[in-house]
Amino acid sequence: MAIKKRVSQDTLADQLSHQIESLQDGFRKLSKAATLTDLAVQFVGVVQGMFPGADIDLVYRPDKSVQWQKIIDSGAGDVEKFLALPSGQASSACSVDEISKRICMVQRLVDKSSIGVVLARKRPRTKNSDVDVVSLRLFIHLFDNAYQELLYRRNEKELIFSLNHRVLQLNSLIDTGIEVSRLDQNASPQQLALERAAALTNASKGVLRVTSGGHLKEEIYFPDGLLVQHTVSKTNRIASSFTFAENTYTFELFEKESRSGILPFEDTDQLLLDALARQVHASLENRYLHEQALEKQKFEQDMAVAAAIQKRILPTSLPVIKGYDVAGINIPSKSVGGDYYDCIPLRDGRYALVIADVAGKGVPAALLVSSLHAYLSAYLESTIPLAQLAQRLNKVIFRASTDDKFITAFVALLSPETGEIELLNAGHNPAYLLRNDGNVQEFRAAGLPLGMLDVDFPLKSERVTIGKGERLLLYTDGITEASDERDEFYDVHSPLREFFIHHKPDRAEVFIADLISDIKRFTGSAAQSDDITALYLQRTS
Amino acid sequence: MEQQFTLTSEMRDNRLIISTSGYVNNVGGEAIAKEFSRHFEKGTKEVIINLAQSKVVNSVGMSFLIEIIEQLHEANGKLIFTNLDPAVEKMLSIMGLFKFAGKEPTVEHAMKSFAHQK
Repeated sequence: MAIKKRVSQDTLADQLSHQIESLQDGFRKLSKAATLTDLAVQFVGVVQGMFPGADIDLVYRPDKSVQWQKIIDSGAGDVEKFLALPSGQASSACSVDEISKRICMVQRLVDKSSIGVVLARKRPRTKNSDVDVVSLRLFIHLFDNAYQELLYRRNEKELIFSLNHRVLQLNSLIDTGIEVSRLDQNASPQQLALERAAALTNASKGVLRVTSGGHLKEEIYFPDGLLVQHTVSKTNRIASSFTFAENTYTFELFEKESRSGILPFEDTDQLLLDALARQVHASLENRYLHEQALEKQKFEQDMAVAAAIQKRILPTSLPVIKGYDVAGINIPSKSVGGDYYDCIPLRDGRYALVIADVAGKGVPAALLVSSLHAYLSAYLESTIPLAQLAQRLNKVIFRASTDDKFITAFVALLSPETGEIELLNAGHNPAYLLRNDGNVQEFRAAGLPLGMLDVDFPLKSERVTIGKGERLLLYTDGITEASDERDEFYDVHSPLREFFIHHKPDRAEVFIADLISDIKRFTGSAAQSDDITALYLQRTS
Repeated sequence: MEQQFTLTSEMRDNRLIISTSGYVNNVGGEAIAKEFSRHFEKGTKEVIINLAQSKVVNSVGMSFLIEIIEQLHEANGKLIFTNLDPAVEKMLSIMGLFKFAGKEPTVEHAMKSFAHQK
């Protein structure tokens, strides 16, 4: 008896040992499963090792509100009618149907989902023992543990994915900031930002609208050609906008994607979109400032060239004319206009006093003045009548200039010995001649400016004689239109003519210096807007 | 600007080459995964995904790509990405996709890379 009892104990120990090994092996297999289906397949395989030839069905439901989903269907029968739910706080329930030889178990899992297992023995029907029930229960506990392991790994993976995604968002935000701030005129910072915003927030689509005064100026869609449904609900839409240069830029993103469908956008999505919109705003401002700086640089280069041309053609000193005192000045403005003056001695003993003003500023104006200087010097040597000289000048200036360029000019040919002056005013400011009796003679325009029209319009010169003590003043509109801080003209408040009448110093250069002082006193701190040019002649004997 | 998603595929030397165009998002990622599964079930274990015409990929699209990489890894197969836009390459790199997947400049380079591994 003692021997028989020991054999029986050894057999039970072997069985238990075998079961423990099966359980350990089973857990190893189950814990490797990557998905629920994979886990179910592995589970059925392990259980079938313990119950050879049994039919095993496995069903699953995420929560009580939904139907069981069949994951493994081995033909154990209509499983739902065998499944009894755990009662109360119990996490599992078991029922054994002795007629159909089925063991049915339901196990509530850690995430409130449940699995149901129906095990049916094949013919010949084998009676289910208590050991079978306990064994199946143990395997179901294994499933539960492996399921927890699966969820843990899945959560860990999702956490790593989520952390990586946050790093990606931050990195992309920095990269996008750099890319949109590049001053590459071919790239659209708005388009790039829209693409990045959609990708980083998992939006399925997006649009950028540029409006001005309520009117749509531009629309960019992502993906291209997409028509955004205006019926998308507010929860599935985020927007960010800014205004720059009277244009309102509005970024809109629609429908945050996920593997399980459309989700509401999160606060961080709005923050990302706002940040990208701010980057575009800053980029547009930077581009604008960069363009302004380039324009300023080009303008300053042009002005430097214009100033160099003007400096080369303006006289460094005026000739000494016996019996006369002559002085002139040119103060270029920042934008360097096209003023010109000179006193040119001619071969026949006369002198040409010239003052001119080109419409426009910068290099084109300076080049036209240079042309005038060259043509004038050449024609004055030919001793042709002044009116004819002006007509020739008109033709060559017309050909040498663009449609919007022309020159107003005043030419006075002085015969020093007689004091006779031949004057011609081509569209210029009137010149003043102050007589000894205090009267001022004005010489107004007798023709159109030079180069305005390609026609031989009649130009008429005048002849006058300047007596001892009498004075002639030629000037440009930079003097009469010199403005103070209130944009009011010098010639309105302190008439030039009155200054000319009442200010009669002994020397011409003193008159010029005093005139400039008077203008500066008037204009105060206001910036000089145009060239200031004057030529003054007084007969001393 | 990125177009709406389209996909083409071909088998060359027993390798699946999937070429995409447009936004690789939920729709795009799912289409890639379906095309992959169709061939994977038949035993294809070497896959090339040519993203030349896809300049934008979101994280949902990437999750499908990760699944493909995992399935191939389990089956001792391999995925190689080609023609990656620098921004997309950086995204995939940050998300850790190149730990188990390769990248090559072109499909031809990827084909050679597979051939050398044999």
